[in-house]
Amino acid sequence: MLFYKAWIETRVRFLAGLVAAAVVCIFYLEQHAWLVSMWAADLQNPHGYHMKWMPLGIHEYGWYLWHYLYDNYLQQVWALFAILFAFGGLIRERNGGTVLFSLGLPVSRRRWLFTRLLVALLESIGLSLFAVLVIAVGSAAIHETFSLSQVLLHTALMVAAGVFVIAFGNLCYTLFPGNYLSLILTLTLLGAPYLWLQTYMQHMRYLGRTPWIGYLDFAHTMAGPWQITWTTTPWMALLVAWTLTAFLLMATVAHGDRLDY
Amino acid sequence: MAAVIETIELKKNYGNHEAVRGLNLSVNAGSVCAFLGQNGAGKSSTIKMLLGMIHPTSGGGSIFGHRIDEERESLLIRQKVAFVAEDKRLYDYMSVGQIIHFTRSFFPKWNHALETQLLERFELPPERKIRQLSKGMRTKLALLLGFARGCELLILDEPTEGLDPVAIEDVLQIVVSLAAQGTTVFFSSHQIAEVEQVADHVLMIDHGQLVLNASMYEVQEEYRQIQAVFTDPVEERDLRLPGVERVKIEGHIASFVASRNVDSIVEHVRMLRAGNIDVLPISLKEIFLEKVRARS
Repeated sequence: MLFYKAWIETRVRFLAGLVAAAVVCIFYLEQHAWLVSMWAADLQNPHGYHMKWMPLGIHEYGWYLWHYLYDNYLQQVWALFAILFAFGGLIRERNGGTVLFSLGLPVSRRRWLFTRLLVALLESIGLSLFAVLVIAVGSAAIHETFSLSQVLLHTALMVAAGVFVIAFGNLCYTLFPGNYLSLILTLTLLGAPYLWLQTYMQHMRYLGRTPWIGYLDFAHTMAGPWQITWTTTPWMALLVAWTLTAFLLMATVAHGDRLDY
Repeated sequence: MAAVIETIELKKNYGNHEAVRGLNLSVNAGSVCAFLGQNGAGKSSTIKMLLGMIHPTSGGGSIFGHRIDEERESLLIRQKVAFVAEDKRLYDYMSVGQIIHFTRSFFPKWNHALETQLLERFELPPERKIRQLSKGMRTKLALLLGFARGCELLILDEPTEGLDPVAIEDVLQIVVSLAAQGTTVFFSSHQIAEVEQVADHVLMIDHGQLVLNASMYEVQEEYRQIQAVFTDPVEERDLRLPGVERVKIEGHIASFVASRNVDSIVEHVRMLRAGNIDVLPISLKEIFLEKVRARS
């Protein structure tokens, strides 16, 4: 029943997430032919815009999907909604006035927390799998073929590294008072370093450098390389993400156990 | 009789404010115990500590022998205790039927017959969303969710707040009927008439400290309002005797509440050459006011 409660509290967000993911996927699938023809025209024009990745973008549909969806926009939409799915819990119930009813039930604080986190994780997985479905249907509609196993691996990597986002969001909700304030602070605290680090690391990689802070570039970890194999999977960065996730969860539990309602 | 609830030197501070100050209380099994006090006296903080919702600053307590300050034991407590909070807000996105179904899943001894009976008695439509219920209807629903749990102990924080007189009467009857079936009831209230109607024991708290711990029988039999008219002026210290509460002297008239030793107090007053002594029964409300005024 706790799952049922968490689900009905978040189902509107989940449906909104599905719509957002569908919009992003459909937009970039629809833009594929136009972008490819534009890059091809650029490459043929000696004064045109030339980038190293352009031939890959023209000839490899899998690269196109990875670049626009898993390395950029779908990932960002997914991360945003993963945070929103994790939004809630006993602190939010305290603001809403229902926390005493919830805490009067024979359910431990940790069970409340982990049920909500599990539902958020399942919804995040559901969202990413829905995106795969949209990609499959959309690709068929534009007569393009792709490797389903690669897309599923990208999905798995996005979720596997993205658990950090869910845990971070949940800790922020537990720490900061006020529904809107906590949401804004969470998005700021997570979004600002996310975007800065992504930009900084892109620059570093362009220069051929790999500083240690690269392990904290979760956007890069979530995206992975465009062709995922056992050896190209960023295991070390995943380990860092999972370790930090574990610390965040421990901090949330410790703080939640101490709170007075 | 075994104590169901026990606290020992229970304290709770919020910053510099001492909400509960060394509370020692005991509630016996099968009793209907009223917990009285002004707003901010520490009633809700005490109840929340009993149920693990807030952590004691020091001291401790137990319910059914389980320690209140340990999460694992608190979980066992909440399996045996039905709690209805003062703030009776419920999940407003659920319907009446959904929240009953939700709550029922946590309590194996759920009383289905009582649930059906109360749904009808309180006229609660199962399909209606909680956000569409009036405050009174929400209170009735919260009480239904507490009463039907089939628990051994019922803790109610201001159970009748926001109810009309007919509903209040219904609720009090249910409390009495559950107590008759062996449920221990511990409830806080500002409605002293209700307390007199259903409680068999009274605990009174003021500024976080217990100021009265007596059975209703003791309150009715032993507490007396005494008014004495003296021929010569008397001073307050002349009337400082065991059992005498706050003394009020106006000219030659002294009035005070005696909590025990009424006969010896009257004898003492007589020896102070009181011309006229009236010994009157006193209501719980007057005792409450005396206790509160004496401390403030």
